[in-house]
Amino acid sequence: MNIKKFISKPLAVLAPFVAASVLATNPVMADETCMSPYMVKIVGQEDFVYVWTLGVEGLGDGQDKMVTVDVNPKSDHYGKVIASESVGGRNEAHHSGFTDDRKFLWAGGLDSNKIFIFDVHTNPAKATLVQTIDDFVSKSGGVVGPHTTYALPGRMIVTGLSNNQDHGGRTAMVEYTNSGEYIDTYWMPTDDNLQGAVKEGQFADGYGYDVRALPSKNVMITSSFTGWSNYMMDFGAMLGDAEAMKRFGNTMVIWDLHTRKPKQVLDVPGAPLEVRCAWKPGNDYCFSTTALTSQIVLLEEENDVWKATNVADIGVPANIPLPVDISIQSDDALLWVNTFLDGKTRAFDITDPHNPKQVYEKQIGNQVNMVSSSWDGKRLYYTTSLLGNWDKKGENNDQFIKLYHWDGKEMTEQFSIDFEKEKLGRAHQMRFGAYSLYGKQAKVEQAKNPIVAMSK
Amino acid sequence: MKMFNLKTVLLLSICFYSSYGLSQDKAKPRDFFNEEHFTIEEPEATGKPDASGKSQTRNGIRIGAGDDKSGYETTGYTTNSRAITTRQGEKADLMRVVNNPPLGLPKIPQPVNNPLTEEKIDLGRKLFFDRRLSLNDTFSCAMCHIPEQGFTSYEVEKAVGLEGRSNRRNAPTIYNVAYLDRLFHDGRETSLENQIWGPLLAHNEMAMTSFGHVLQKLDTLKEYDGLFEAAFEGRGADILTLGRAIASYQRVLVSGNSAFDRWYFGNETKAITDQAIRGFDIFKNKGQCITCHTVGEKTALFTDKLVHNTGLGFKRAMVEEPEKERMLIAPGTYAYVVKSKKDLVGLPRMADVGVYEVTQDPDDRWKYRTPTLRNVAITAPYMHDGSMHNLTEVIAFYNQGGVLENEKGFPNVTQSPLIKPLGLTESESKDLVAFMMTLTGDNVVEIISDAFATPVGDTTNE
Repeated sequence: MNIKKFISKPLAVLAPFVAASVLATNPVMADETCMSPYMVKIVGQEDFVYVWTLGVEGLGDGQDKMVTVDVNPKSDHYGKVIASESVGGRNEAHHSGFTDDRKFLWAGGLDSNKIFIFDVHTNPAKATLVQTIDDFVSKSGGVVGPHTTYALPGRMIVTGLSNNQDHGGRTAMVEYTNSGEYIDTYWMPTDDNLQGAVKEGQFADGYGYDVRALPSKNVMITSSFTGWSNYMMDFGAMLGDAEAMKRFGNTMVIWDLHTRKPKQVLDVPGAPLEVRCAWKPGNDYCFSTTALTSQIVLLEEENDVWKATNVADIGVPANIPLPVDISIQSDDALLWVNTFLDGKTRAFDITDPHNPKQVYEKQIGNQVNMVSSSWDGKRLYYTTSLLGNWDKKGENNDQFIKLYHWDGKEMTEQFSIDFEKEKLGRAHQMRFGAYSLYGKQAKVEQAKNPIVAMSK
Repeated sequence: MKMFNLKTVLLLSICFYSSYGLSQDKAKPRDFFNEEHFTIEEPEATGKPDASGKSQTRNGIRIGAGDDKSGYETTGYTTNSRAITTRQGEKADLMRVVNNPPLGLPKIPQPVNNPLTEEKIDLGRKLFFDRRLSLNDTFSCAMCHIPEQGFTSYEVEKAVGLEGRSNRRNAPTIYNVAYLDRLFHDGRETSLENQIWGPLLAHNEMAMTSFGHVLQKLDTLKEYDGLFEAAFEGRGADILTLGRAIASYQRVLVSGNSAFDRWYFGNETKAITDQAIRGFDIFKNKGQCITCHTVGEKTALFTDKLVHNTGLGFKRAMVEEPEKERMLIAPGTYAYVVKSKKDLVGLPRMADVGVYEVTQDPDDRWKYRTPTLRNVAITAPYMHDGSMHNLTEVIAFYNQGGVLENEKGFPNVTQSPLIKPLGLTESESKDLVAFMMTLTGDNVVEIISDAFATPVGDTTNE
């Protein structure tokens, strides 16, 4: 394990701010390939994967939980569940993200609107719940569905998916301090209140989903999905509901990172979901994928104006494979794209970002959602759950975490943990942990505090 | 490279077709079948207005969804979204209608044991918008009965309950619910005071676990301190007072004095158009709609308050679902979802036999309560299952005479004899729609504004 200093981009506007709030305590920046650049990253072997897991009524304790999996191949418990922290209730566990100091992991519940904060530094072998924000809706002025929890210097930006007025898709971003104090709400621009943004096309729906920052360009980029009524309802019922199918986002918004003001609203039809930005200096672009129209979308600036362009099909769009999570390789050479309905992962060569080419494809399961890559790109972790009521039913409802090794040509499965057999629930988002982040050594810590594997 | 715009959507669709080696003949709709999952159909070329006439704006208040989707079926769709922060209003004097009902409506019936008072209405309104009255603090009555969406929901055909649990039926409007003595689509409840406990305790609605659970939870909410006592002569929150408070708010949501009322009851000859007048003639005569959607001498509820089998419930239960269904995946862009693939991600459809479930009488299979037509223009989607999205679709259904048998010849023996082919022409159908558009009450904006002025109850730590 080792941690390297890494500064991904020139930080023109934010440099003084960042220096004051982050560098003073931690002189390294950036993260594994999909998280905030304002963060320590693990460039070697990770010790743990924290899996934010949805409780299933009638399975185990039925609650959402943060599951810690030992993934250090030198550990006696490699590939085993070593801890599980139940949080109470089924909250529609979905995404999680570390604070910039990487000491705490914030995990949102899309249904209950609670944000659970786990201590991952005191004992990295067990993510421990230390704080719950349960007034997210009232504090934010009606934002529902805390989704992405994204680190900015000393702050957490939480994207919403919905609102408490009609449970539709209009929503906002909400800013907190690292200690969980509410700061402000930034509503997505709508036709009647663009907040100074330019509506570049036909749409300004006010919907939200993911957020990523590109400090070198002083922008944040948000995407758009759908409101509570859709993301919580039975997937099959929704596909047959003509009104519900109109309630998907068709926009991405470019924000001023420093002022948190929207600058441009771009038309991106078909529910653009995850946003991932390139890492190399000078590669000032980001990607997204559309869930319903199955496109890879390139976001880049041209003559001081941002634009979104479809640059590749994902599978056969007519089959609606439903692209979900994506992961960009740290050298900006590959983009991994998971497609939920056919259970496949696909690698696209993005060395020419304007012409991605699929170079690899593998069946992961009957369904697949999340993919998390190690910084060196050699290890890819996969989980299966999309949303509690969207997952496949019956025997196709795979619920696992799998690790694959990637040698640049082929993937080889290393281990698989069946979350249903373990009575845990639906495996959703993964985040990596390591002793070295906190000045500790795995061998020493394991000797001091032996881990008892929970897995059979 | 081009930025996304109308052309890009078209190009995207062409790209889909090209992957199947299909031509780009836009004159014919693409209904081709893909054996694997779905197929894409070419987008419609032109926009069309929403036949239901939703999303009107009056005095700054939007009647309709805040993220208006009218025209989403076309590539010409442009958003018309309003900021959540503009959803503000003013409290109205809802007591005004108690002794002075709007033109076209009778006096509001009041139970002897629950006369209307301002205190009860205020308390009921507060409870109606309080999301903490659900198991996980996410569901109020108003999450399904959304004020600006006709006190129903435009956004889903069938209501979605706590934790996303499926419901079988559309959330009915509660406008003019004061006049009903059968509540819910199957008419199983007899009073508003009793009715409220159904959704509160239903596992697939607000999912509270018991009467006591609801009352105990209310007791922990400091902002209700003294409110029940003030409204009910010193009596606190209990099974009866909670029901009476919410019933009081619902009871004053009466809406009349529509253009039709002013024409028919008020003798304003210019209040409605000639087309609407022709539509009313069809409503009374050729269409025979008036038999169930009644109009009295001095008032009109537009419902006989009875239950009927129109054929729709039978169709849902007894007719095979199509092998593929057309669906929108982006503005103006369609795909076909194949049933077998949809079933992989969906639970089986829940049985719904209508009033039979209440009476256990086979003669009541697939019967549902006649809904009022008042405010029908602003209460889409329609029918007990929300499966029809505009009034033109509804008229077309009745024009064909219901559903007398399924594809295997199984007869719908309980279909109402009143349901029969009508022989309406397209022009007559349009006239009928024009008539129904005149039934929107003149106070809906006031009622919506009053609702907007009510704080939504969410968890706080203050």
